[in-house]
Amino acid sequence: MTAGTDALRPIRNPNARRRRTPIGRWFHYNERLALGLVGLVGFILFWEIGSRVGFVDAFFFSKPSSILAAGINEVQLPRFWTDVEASAFEFVTGYALAVALGVPLGIAFGWYRRLSYMADPWLNLFNSLPRIALLPLLVLWLGLGVESKIAVVFLGAFFSLVIPTVQGVRTVDRRLLDVARSFGASQRRLFTSVVAPSTVPFIATGLRLGLGRALIGVVVGELYAQTQGLGVMIFKASNNIQPDRMFFAIILLTATGIVGVEALRRVERYFDRWRPSLEEAT
Amino acid sequence: MLTEGIALSARGVRMEYRDQTTRDRLVAIEKIDLEIAEGEFVSIVGPSGCGKSTFLKVVNGLLPATDGEIEVRPGAKGIPHATVFQDSSLFPWYTVIGNVSYGLVCKGVSRREAYERAKPLIKLVGLDGFESKYPYQLSGGMQQRANLARALTVDPELLLMDEPFAALDAQTREIMQVELLRIWSKAQKTVLFITHQIDEAIFLSDRVVVMSARPGRILADIRIELPRPRALELKRTPEFTAYEDEVWKLISSQLASMGVGGEGASVTDAA
Amino acid sequence: MAAGSQPLARRVHPPADDAARPRFAINEPLVYGIIGFVVVLVLWEAVVGLGLVRAALMSSPTRIAAAAVADFRSGAILPHVGTSFLEWGVGFVIAIAVALPLGLALGAFRRVEYVVDPWLSALYATPTVALAPLIILLFGIGVESKFVIVFLEAFVVLTVNTVAGTHAADRRHLDTARSFGASRWLMFRSVIIPSSVPFMITGIRIAAGRAIVGVIVAEFIAANIGIGFYISVNGATLNASRVMLGVLIIGVFGVIVGQLIRRLERRFDKWRPAIH
Repeated sequence: MTAGTDALRPIRNPNARRRRTPIGRWFHYNERLALGLVGLVGFILFWEIGSRVGFVDAFFFSKPSSILAAGINEVQLPRFWTDVEASAFEFVTGYALAVALGVPLGIAFGWYRRLSYMADPWLNLFNSLPRIALLPLLVLWLGLGVESKIAVVFLGAFFSLVIPTVQGVRTVDRRLLDVARSFGASQRRLFTSVVAPSTVPFIATGLRLGLGRALIGVVVGELYAQTQGLGVMIFKASNNIQPDRMFFAIILLTATGIVGVEALRRVERYFDRWRPSLEEAT
Repeated sequence: MLTEGIALSARGVRMEYRDQTTRDRLVAIEKIDLEIAEGEFVSIVGPSGCGKSTFLKVVNGLLPATDGEIEVRPGAKGIPHATVFQDSSLFPWYTVIGNVSYGLVCKGVSRREAYERAKPLIKLVGLDGFESKYPYQLSGGMQQRANLARALTVDPELLLMDEPFAALDAQTREIMQVELLRIWSKAQKTVLFITHQIDEAIFLSDRVVVMSARPGRILADIRIELPRPRALELKRTPEFTAYEDEVWKLISSQLASMGVGGEGASVTDAA
Repeated sequence: MAAGSQPLARRVHPPADDAARPRFAINEPLVYGIIGFVVVLVLWEAVVGLGLVRAALMSSPTRIAAAAVADFRSGAILPHVGTSFLEWGVGFVIAIAVALPLGLALGAFRRVEYVVDPWLSALYATPTVALAPLIILLFGIGVESKFVIVFLEAFVVLTVNTVAGTHAADRRHLDTARSFGASRWLMFRSVIIPSSVPFMITGIRIAAGRAIVGVIVAEFIAANIGIGFYISVNGATLNASRVMLGVLIIGVFGVIVGQLIRRLERRFDKWRPAIH
């Protein structure tokens, strides 16, 4: 119904309407953005002033201006870039391997019922187990180098990808499969025309979850087996009580997470453009 | 002030929206003037998007009208109106009795008293024995019986019904139509009923108001001179079919103006 | 008429078929599941037994079982399990006690939510375990620092989910409450809170897992007791059987917690409005 769509706002009786200044009107229509900015700027100011005046312990929590200064200083150091490169390599390789193996395996488990029955106990066990706990074992097998970290990133993302993918294939609308079969669609066409499009949102969920897990894998892997990378930087900065450097590294990780998830959301929207959004559906 | 014997009076009701993305003005309702007498059963029918549900929301106070005035008689208990919504507006987390007594709880009545006062209404709609069931345990027809009881419990002057049977299958819908007339004659309420089913509107109502395509306005206000009490056999009488033809001609003229094939389109497409 | 319709009904649903088919359908996942489980275990044992890989690195099902019997009989592993459980439980319970009311309050006061939203979203995207070294520095290597880490891990996800739940109320339910003139508080109590319960439970499920990660990572970094400590010490001394035993204990715990939450979820499932 027209009345239910969020994009439409009722126009009120002009006599009953409150008169607003232009700024007031802007605020009325962009309340969320305005208050978000207030929160963002307000907290940074609180942090900065607080640590200068003394009610925030600058020794442990630093302050925004110091973090910024530390950041400017860091990006000029070759060591920083070695760390970034190491972390990025582990992250990209582990995540890419997880996608390359997780999605096809998930589809196979979802499609071949008996195969999935066999895999289920193992999938469930690994899914309810923090894969981070396997880290000492991975180090035992693969050494302290980059391999063990790629492995933990891979394991982190892999199960987050497989499980939603399996679920996606299993919950494909049976009626659509019947329609395709009744037209005599081949197995391959059945797959490309029904199964793949229905599974896209599930894979997208897996990709997003997996991205977060992969980031955690990078950090914990490096905290545990310290060779190089942002995790090592965070650990050393914490132990030397340089919270400004530590926060700078954490902000980098957060930014990676936000940018990555947003990029995936764009891709998903493209593949999923035929699907009505929740607001439109109701 | 309302004249004696009038339950609802809408004068010059106009409803406009602004599209937040394109900044366009969209007129949903051009102008509606409507009076409903006490105890009258009035239906509004019209093509899809004609603003009939919007009008009900305005009467309900859920939407502010851009212009115009609406007056509703407060009724004996001081409660002007209550609404029977479309399907699944029951709270899934409350039992039948919890749902039916909800309106009273909103008025500040204690839970125990609200339960006591809800019981006769549950009996009236034929749900006794189902008080402690959850909505998901009820069929669609039973859910709408509970929905009706919930609105009746607050004893309003005017009952607003927003396509209450739209989601039911054809047989259940006809049973519910008969049930509604039975309950209406017992409860003695004024009813404003929104539907897209022409036969439903004629079967139930004293008057059928036909609305135009958007922007909505009233095309015709037809008095249905069929005897009461009414049974389903009435739908197969020539008098009934004549009313159906009259309403359908009005609506199909609107569909044609919207670019929908008037002759070929079936009645249900007019939703 | 009854006599005439009976044979027809039987022909459509032959009783023999009815009885046989469901039983097989129920058993099939179990049968194949056991096959899948056993095949891997047997292969693993065989590969190690034949000396194809080093037992010290790969261990084997029987060696893990032997380690379990030894460490549980001597009781050596119990303080580790107990401490980790305490760290998990305290941090998690405090997080629930703080995050659910806070999330509901943020949902009730929209403007406050807008103000904190950027920070909440940023924290949500942050691998908060990265703060573990600093927290250990602040609170020491004892259980206190683990409480804080677990709390932080669980808190963010719980709050974000609860806030999301307060926005998930069905429009029709809100309209209904409004049309009956429900007060703001009644509206919140009768519509918003029940609608957000499924989201809270989802939050609890995700948070439970994250809290386990918090315990393990914190104990990896700095601890002298706890299951994470047990795993990392045995890893450093090339005792793969004990590492796997520790991992297995965490896995079993994860499964149990998951089952309990699923039961909770099912209890509230009927609260979900029907989807059309």
